[in-house]
Amino acid sequence: MRIKTALLVAVTLAMASVTAHVSAHHSTAIYDSENPIELAGTVVEWQFVNPHVFIVLEVVDGATGEKKHWSLEGGNTAGLFRRGWTPNTLKAGDAIKLTVRPLRSGAAGGNYSNPRWADGAPIEPRPATG
Amino acid sequence: MPLRAARRVHVTTLVVGSALLLACSAKPAAPLNSYPDWSGQWARIGSLNWEPEGYEKAGPPPLTPEYAAIRDGYLAQREQGILAGDPPATCLPPGMPRVMTMSFPMEIIVTPKITYIYADWESQVRRVYTDGRDWPEYILPEFNGYSIGAWHDENGDGVYDMLSIETRGMKGPRSFDSQAVVLHENNQTVVREEMRRIDESTMEDRITTIDDALTRPWTVARRYSLEKDPIWVEYVCAEGNRHIKLGDEWYFVNEETGTLDPTRIGQPRLVPEKR
Repeated sequence: MRIKTALLVAVTLAMASVTAHVSAHHSTAIYDSENPIELAGTVVEWQFVNPHVFIVLEVVDGATGEKKHWSLEGGNTAGLFRRGWTPNTLKAGDAIKLTVRPLRSGAAGGNYSNPRWADGAPIEPRPATG
Repeated sequence: MPLRAARRVHVTTLVVGSALLLACSAKPAAPLNSYPDWSGQWARIGSLNWEPEGYEKAGPPPLTPEYAAIRDGYLAQREQGILAGDPPATCLPPGMPRVMTMSFPMEIIVTPKITYIYADWESQVRRVYTDGRDWPEYILPEFNGYSIGAWHDENGDGVYDMLSIETRGMKGPRSFDSQAVVLHENNQTVVREEMRRIDESTMEDRITTIDDALTRPWTVARRYSLEKDPIWVEYVCAEGNRHIKLGDEWYFVNEETGTLDPTRIGQPRLVPEKR
């Protein structure tokens, strides 16, 4: 029973992480939800702003060695702050992985979810209290 | 004054005084109702679709054929990456009635003459006038419109428990939600609400929207739960907004390259001319 409860909590947390975009205040039609991609890179900038936080991520193309900066939109500061995220959660140089719904246009931008450290561990700050 | 005359005055005074007392006791002054404590942080329950249970379960919105076609057109544009039919995407306020979905929590501040409904989303304030005023001769259109309310004591316990509101004078563009369900461009919308606390931790707002984009008045019951451990977070949409609309084209601001990146397939990137 305890294992089932733990599993349920884990699944719920994972769903909350993956579906964070659902609570966006506007449509996310500019992103391709049908074809998400995985990006691993280095944080260039972590912008804790509204209406959405942004991660500027430097991604190195494994084949060509070319570096590209991706502008990746996340949730809103209110929701993230309640879950423990702050302007200090990430810093330039952090190695992270993200699931990204890319811009349909093919430009280097998108909407991220499922943030993890480079070793795959979820980035889970301690929730804030009022 | 002769004694007989003095007695007459006393008797007259007694009669008039008694009559006044009788009048007072026959019609006691109605006790003043007190106002409810609706303070705290109220967070949305349900989906961000205008129908709280979502359109998949509730069925499609009751749009006229004209506005159903407009919605279909917007949805087709979205397949191309265009944020059509969703005005708040560029940081415009949601307006009435959409603000009452409360993407972010609200606070209700009750005073005898005005009830303030503060929405964290876009830091929007609705003023509901409960001072008995009539509609002004001219209403300057605003996204949240002009609201007149009246308090009701439904259970007769001396404490007001329901606030009815009528809102007119809205401006556009407005949509019900982010699902491309837009209100009529003539902005003749009228919104009627009945707001009441249905239990200690739940507020309900029954919202009826009358609009020329609809085939009938559309009533939904939005609910909000009282947060036990409220955290208020500032929301300034312009701070980091990346979604720009220029004419009919939408762009995604790329701060790193200083360009306006395309959102639509085949759309050219806008690169500012360097001087």
